[in-house]
Amino acid sequence: MEKSFEDALKELEAIVKELESGNVELDSAIEKYTEAMKLVKHCNDKLNTATEKVNKILTENKELVDFEVSE
Amino acid sequence: MNDKYLKISELNTYIKSLFDENPYLKKVYLRGEISNFKNHSRGHLYFTLKDDTSRISAVMFYSSAVNINFAPEDGMNVLVEGRISCYPAQGTYQIYVDKMEVDGLGNLYLEFEKLKSKLAKEGLFNPEYKKPIPKIPKRIGIITAPTGAAIRDILSTIKRRFPICETILFPALVQGESAAPDIVRQIKEADSGKYDLDVLIVGRGGGSIEDLWAFNEEIVARAIFEARVPIISAVGHEIDFTIADFVADMRAPTPTGAAEMAVPTITEINNLLNSYQIRLNEFTHNLIHKSKLRLTNITSSYILKNPLSLYELKEQKLDNLLDTLNNNITKRLENYTLILNNLTSSYVLKNPLNLFAVKKEQLSFTKKNLYSNINNIILKNTHNYEILVNTLKLVNPLNILDKGYSLVTKDNVVIKSTKDLHKEDIINIKLHEGRLKALVKEVES
Repeated sequence: MEKSFEDALKELEAIVKELESGNVELDSAIEKYTEAMKLVKHCNDKLNTATEKVNKILTENKELVDFEVSE
Repeated sequence: MNDKYLKISELNTYIKSLFDENPYLKKVYLRGEISNFKNHSRGHLYFTLKDDTSRISAVMFYSSAVNINFAPEDGMNVLVEGRISCYPAQGTYQIYVDKMEVDGLGNLYLEFEKLKSKLAKEGLFNPEYKKPIPKIPKRIGIITAPTGAAIRDILSTIKRRFPICETILFPALVQGESAAPDIVRQIKEADSGKYDLDVLIVGRGGGSIEDLWAFNEEIVARAIFEARVPIISAVGHEIDFTIADFVADMRAPTPTGAAEMAVPTITEINNLLNSYQIRLNEFTHNLIHKSKLRLTNITSSYILKNPLSLYELKEQKLDNLLDTLNNNITKRLENYTLILNNLTSSYVLKNPLNLFAVKKEQLSFTKKNLYSNINNIILKNTHNYEILVNTLKLVNPLNILDKGYSLVTKDNVVIKSTKDLHKEDIINIKLHEGRLKALVKEVES
């Protein structure tokens, strides 16, 4: 299953904090860096490719249909 | 013409009958403010009901007063139900109140307080039940009226801040009698798991306390509490707190506020991502730089550049150790030789006869001592003996005889008194020279 945006962001945050704590050895630091950059790309892609969503409303028949606020 | 004058009691009784017979006054509903309130010790309540221009005395007997569920006091607006009659003793008319309740707003306020403290006691507002609101939701549910400012504000705020978020509106009545059950129905629907919601906004725009009342209903509070999806309440404007606000996982002062809490701005996220990227790059760059520096330091170290020096060091160390070892052994040998020499050169070992001479000398000394001791003892005893013999000579009874005395005995017993003798006894008399055997001729006392 694809990582949710929030999960990816959380993971990213955790890696940055871990690296900055200074307790990571070079090998695993490089590994983590690569992983983190993948996450950054993942998040960026999601943001950039996501299109504006249409609002939905649940009808009495329990169907989801497009919804716009009537002025 | 005394007859035309009535007694006061007669008049008052008549007037009372007019009140009592009037069908309109048998059941009267009044709205007014309480003043001059007195709670009689016997449980009857006496007070005045008034409005801006008029007043009427009121009495509520104990049997009715026990049924009221609040504490009446001066200034309170109440709705009362009762009959109008006259109290002949004072000539006043008054309302005899059967039922009384707090009027309108006040009544709602009491219900609000009651429910709030009940749910608080049950723990429905406790912080440990508050679920966290996800920072970046994919899909948000909204329960409110499909028309009006609330839904418009929520949707436009979400679109402005985080347009990639999906929204599903669960339309509900938010005002009137059926609002509460409708809201409950939609909360349950939204929470059914069919819609994969990250967060749910439940609310409506501002209004009077009666307008907002559905959000103070117990069933709504319980539905919010039981929902698994985190709920942001958004009821009315900032000053209106509802029960729903207390029980929700987060309370927003307005529908717009709820939308702001529910979604981040897309710029915020972009900035966050950029800052992570910068931090990662900087950190990794630094780490590599530092590691390179360490490596350079190590490779350029003297040891690595001059591996033979490692060997030299060891050589030197070995020499040091050997020296120490040699020194130690020599020193020990010298010590032992010294001790041995001292022993062999001792006087005793060299002159064993001396030991014998010493013992011999001791023996002769002891001998001498022994002789002199024995001589002393003999001399001393000889002297004592002579003294004793002289003493004995002095006390010998026979010595008295040579001065002319004689010693009379009978059967070898010395006779000292005539009582020991009888006539015809034979006695022996020892003189200085010789002895006599004599017969006693007569005994004189």
